[in-house]
Order: sequence, then C-alpha cells, then structure tokens
Amino acid sequence: MANFIGVAPTIPSSLLDSHITPRPDFTTCTDPSNFLIPNVTDPAFYCRSNFASASGDKDAQQVVKFAKGTTTLAFKFNEGIIVSVDSRSTMGAYIASQTVKKIIEINPFLLGTMAGGAADCSFWERNLGMQCRLYELRNKKRISVASASKLLANTMNSYRGYGLSMGTMVTGWDETGPQLYYVDNDATRLHDNLFSVGSGSTYAYGVLDTYYRPDLTIPEAIDLGKRAIYHATHRDAYSGGINNLYHVQADGWKKIHAIDVNELHYEFADEKNEMVA
Amino acid sequence: MSILAYNGAAMIGMAGDNCVGIAADTRLGAQAQTVACTFQKTFKISDTIFVGLAGLGSDVQTLSQTLKFRKNLYELKEERTMKPKVFSAMLSTLLYEKRFGPYFIEPIVCGLQDGVPFLSGMDLIGAPVFTDDFVVSGTCTANLFGTCESLYKPSQNPDELFETLSQCLLASVDRDALSGWGGVVHIITKEGVRTRELKGRQD
Amino acid sequence: MSEFLDQSTPSSAPSGFDFSLSHRNATLSSDSKSSINMVAKKTGTTIVGTVFDGGVVLGADTRATAGSEVADKFCEKIHYLAPNIYCCGAGTAADTEKTTELISSQLSLLRMSTQSPSRVVTACTMLKRMLFRYQGHVSAALVLGGCDISGPHVFQIYPHGSTGKLPYTTMGSGSLAAMSVFENEWKENMSESEAVDIVQKAITAGIFNDLGSGSNCDVTIIRLDGTVEIRRGALKENPVEPLRSMINRSSKFTMGKGTTAVLKDTFVKAKKGGEEDMVTD
Repeated sequence: MANFIGVAPTIPSSLLDSHITPRPDFTTCTDPSNFLIPNVTDPAFYCRSNFASASGDKDAQQVVKFAKGTTTLAFKFNEGIIVSVDSRSTMGAYIASQTVKKIIEINPFLLGTMAGGAADCSFWERNLGMQCRLYELRNKKRISVASASKLLANTMNSYRGYGLSMGTMVTGWDETGPQLYYVDNDATRLHDNLFSVGSGSTYAYGVLDTYYRPDLTIPEAIDLGKRAIYHATHRDAYSGGINNLYHVQADGWKKIHAIDVNELHYEFADEKNEMVA
Repeated sequence: MSILAYNGAAMIGMAGDNCVGIAADTRLGAQAQTVACTFQKTFKISDTIFVGLAGLGSDVQTLSQTLKFRKNLYELKEERTMKPKVFSAMLSTLLYEKRFGPYFIEPIVCGLQDGVPFLSGMDLIGAPVFTDDFVVSGTCTANLFGTCESLYKPSQNPDELFETLSQCLLASVDRDALSGWGGVVHIITKEGVRTRELKGRQD
Repeated sequence: MSEFLDQSTPSSAPSGFDFSLSHRNATLSSDSKSSINMVAKKTGTTIVGTVFDGGVVLGADTRATAGSEVADKFCEKIHYLAPNIYCCGAGTAADTEKTTELISSQLSLLRMSTQSPSRVVTACTMLKRMLFRYQGHVSAALVLGGCDISGPHVFQIYPHGSTGKLPYTTMGSGSLAAMSVFENEWKENMSESEAVDIVQKAITAGIFNDLGSGSNCDVTIIRLDGTVEIRRGALKENPVEPLRSMINRSSKFTMGKGTTAVLKDTFVKAKKGGEEDMVTD
C-alpha cells in the first residue's frame, strides 16, 4: 500500500470542480476526482483484483478483507419514509462489530444507508455530505434528494470497475416531498417506493412485500420496519445486533429507536403465543 | 469457503472435578442462511461417553449412527463396556480409514474413564489431541480458545463447570456468524448426565 | 493396511484406504463454490536423531499446529515401533501417527513369526515401501532410530519413500536450525550425556528459531544393552503454568450459579453395575 501516490484517475473534466485546487489530501477534499489511486499501468484492474469486495466471498483469497454483511431497508408511505437497518459488521465468519451505525446522517434532511464495504459507504457518503453543503452555500437552498443521489451516482460512475462496494439508499424530504433513491457501485440509480439492500434483503423483502401498504399509520410503519429487520437478522448469518430505525418527515429525519434484535425475538414469540391462546 | 464451515458449528469439551462437560451450539445453516436452530451435534454414546461432531451436517448424522453401531458391536463381541479412550481410538481409525476421501468432521470426545475426565479432539482425518483441561472444535475455534483460556479453572464442580462451559460457548458464538442460535450443555458425572438447553442470541 | 478396515466387513473386502467418499467430495467441491481445503493437523516440527557410542538418541519438539493455531502444546512425536526401535514423525499428524502405528503392529507380528528381535533396517524398509506406494500423499517425514544386533542405527525417511542411513539427521520445518547445531558440535564416539546434550540443543534451536516448532523437548534414548529411556519433556523451556498463574483474574470471571439462562433442564441417571444397554436411536 506504500506505493499509492496522488495520480488522478482519468475522469471526465466535466466532473472536475474548477473552484477547488486539486490536492492530494483527500480527507479534506470534497472533489471525488482527487481520490488517490495506485501508480500502476491499469489502476482499475489493480484495484478490482486486489480490493474486490463487491459481494459474497470475492475477497476470500485476498489479503485485504472487508467488513460487510448487512440488512438495510427503506420504504415510502403516506406519512414519510421509514429507514430501518441492522448493525452487524463481519469479516469472513468473524463478527467484527454488533454496533455499527448503518444509517448515515448526511445532513438534517438527508439520510444514507450502508451496505457492502463499510469504508466505501462511509467515506463516499461523508463526501456526499460535503458536496451537498457546498451546493447549499453556492445556491442558497437545500439540495434535492434527486440531485444528491445523482452526485453520489456520478462519483460511483467515475470509479466504475475499481472494485468499490456500495449499495446505498439515499432518502430525504425536499421541495418535492419525501424521496427515496437507490445507488450502488455500478452507478445504478433507481427511484421507487421500497428498497432493501444487503445479504439479508431477501428475508426483509418477504416481510415488506407481505405487509406493505402506502396508507400505513406511523406506528404501523415503524412496526413493519423493525419486523422486517428482525426476520432478516434471524435467518441471515451476516445480519444482526441492533435495529436502528429513522423516520423521514417534512421537518427532517427523526431517530425512532435502537433495539437489540434479540429482544424483538422474544417480543414476537410472546405475540405469537398470545395469538394461539 | 471450506466444506467444514458450510453448516457452522461451535463446541467445547471441558474437564472438572470428577466430572466432564460438553457444550455445543444448535445452528444448522447453508452458508449464510440459517436453516434450523435445533440441530443435534452432541451424541450420547454411553453413560460415560459423549461425542461432539462439528462439520458437515450430513456427515454429523452419518458418523453419529456409525459410531453408535460400532460401539454396540464392540460391546456384544467383547462383552465389556467401551471406555472413552477406546472409543476415541476407534473414531480415530474410522476417520483415518478415509484418509483420501474424508468425512468433513472435526470431532471431540468427552467422557469419564474410571471416574476421571477424558478429553480428546481430532482433525478430519483422525489425528488425536489429548488434553486434561479443555478441547474445542468448529467454525470459531479462535474465539473458543480465547474464552476457554480466560474462564477455565481446574477442579470445578459440576455446577461451576456448567456455568463456565455455557459462558465460554455463548461468548464465542456471539462473535461468530456461522454458529449460535441456542446451545446445549451436558454435564457427565458418575451419578448421571445433566442436560441443559441454553437461551442464546437468535441473530 | 487391513488394520484400518472395518472388522465387520467380509475379509474379501479390498484392503487399504477407503475411497468411497472421494466421488462425493469431488462433486461437493465442484458444484458449490466452496472448496475442500484440507486443514488437517500438521506437526510443523523439529525432529532429530543421532548415534553415540552406546546407542541412539532421538529428540523432538512437542507442538502441533492447525493453520496458525497451536492445536496441541505437548504432543508426542516420538512414536514406539518396537521395544528397541522408536521413530520421530513430522508432517501431517494423522499420517505420522497412523503410519508408525501400522508398521509397529506389522513388526510385532513379524517378531512373533521369526522369534527374533526386530531390526532397524527392517522397520526402515517397511516404512519406505509403504510411503513409496502412496507417492508422497501420505505425508510423513521420519527419523527412525534404534539398536539391534548390528549396533545403533539412525535413518531418515522422506514422505516419497527415499531413505538415508546417517550418523545424525534432522527433519521437519525446524531441521535447518537443528542441523546447524549438529554440524557445529557433532563428533564421533560421543558419550551418552554428550549426545543427549547435543540433541536437546538442536531441538531448542528448532523451538526458538522455527515458528512451526515449539513448547518442550522430548528425548528418547535407546541403548545397546536393550534399555530404553523415555524422557517426556526433558527440557521445558516454555512452561505454561507459571504464565497462567501470573494472570490475576477478577472474581467477576468466576461465573456464579444461575448466570446462564436455561430453557430446559433434564437429568438422566446412570445405569447401575456397569451393565450397559445398547444405544438405540
């Protein structure tokens, strides 16, 4: 890793922000084009083959292993958006952490979720936060969710094939109301009412698709959000820990709860027993 | 990913004062997917012998039945009960017989031989390791070694042994994605076998 | 290899290793993404042997590893072959264990039929024939030593079946460290205490300079007069107990009764009088 030097990747000049002098210090830089890349003839291939973390066990034989494994979900309903996630981070079978914050507070009106490479998600969403703040300062108004998600998708597009791993949902409330976008490392950008991302997403979708209605009340929506995460954590080995749940409202997001999913197991088990009795 | 870690497992055998214990988790998975939370991995061979089979689920079941069959046959032929040391040797040869097409099992054997704790562990082709404190196997041996090295004390009574074993197991599987979802502990004494099912995390 | 076979099968069954699961295992590794990487226990080892005036001294470390984990801190690597012959093993633990066990039983049968003590060269030939037959797949690297009618002998045997008769030899991952001691200090017509000293030094060199070797030093002395001395843990330079007792454990590490949440508790009384019932399912 010592031979990483500040060579800029070939990025369309339209993406380069002329207001900012390119600096190799990427921690303070809002410009994604200044991300350091390895000094080799084909940096994309080098990154892809040495830092592949996109999904599954592609990094199994690689020296650099990534923290990953997740269930995240978000859905839009009449009263806003529910964003609900687990908190487990794994490196292979080892559970690296049970207390990861997978909902990233980009600013008081924008939320991003974390699935895939933990470092890739947190770095680029923090970077997105900086870009959004600059937008606010330049334009004297908040950025729309559509624009914010497009900024992230553009960044992902400029690093396509470099082996970044990110599956995120960008949500918030702007002039057009509540908005929900999905952005991943292929630079896919989707707009819809309901998404779930991560290794446990199939289990979460099962619950969500069964019980989702646009006219859910807020308590019903919160219950659905935590129920879907609980079922995913129960069946998926790489999801677990705490259920963090946020509600996106007109005046910004609110954190609703952080509950140990193990408590949910017994809560739902009691519920079932009562139904039988 | 190794076949040995396809279904996931964690188990410990630990010696106490005139007693011995075996603890195992109860998950059966298909890699990331948890298929069952009540899978049996520890088997009673006799009043004084228990075997724990960590590894491929189908081999766990095949081997547990083969072992019971071999043990019964031994006792009919020899007209004497099988001792843990003999059982361990039998299991070792059973595994080495398939040296070039092995069962994907790393077993542990726990028993009382003339009232004294007996512990052994093996790799998948039957290389035995005999210990007098504890033996571990499964998908989180590093975690299990860590907890056992910290919590193990010599000469524990059956109740103390149970608590130590349980806490070692639960703490280890809480840091392993492929094992957990409940546990079972058998404490073997001259008087009999106490079996307890543990309340473990369900994620 | 008939010893490895199920005694309940008819004697007409083919002898040797059982390959019945090989096809399944090949299928298993090809259709799922998972690979069958064998993580069998290895004895990343230092083993040595030397002759001296009145016999043979064998030495070994006592570490067994599984990957980067120490699987056993005090394992036995000097195996019994005959009353006058012992054998140090390096390589895959199961292979060294079972190969020496097998040859040991064949030697004892041979002694019964010939009514004479085993010769070291016989053991060497039996071992090399077996290892050659399996073309190195049975990965046992051995240092064979013993005394017979023709004096003290040390042999080295490689996993593919090649052998060498030498006055002193070292094998295993720590063999280079150990050999440096022998090359520096070995001389002809040593006394027993000199030989033991040099063997212990060589093993210690392996223990401290090779990561695969560790813990204690075992020594076995086989004398021309027929006596054998097995010194288990002749040198204990890495004692665990003092280290363990240095750890001052908080009383919180002692789990009180009732710490663990239990869902179900059952007790099955042991049957009296040693009479076992057949286990059924």
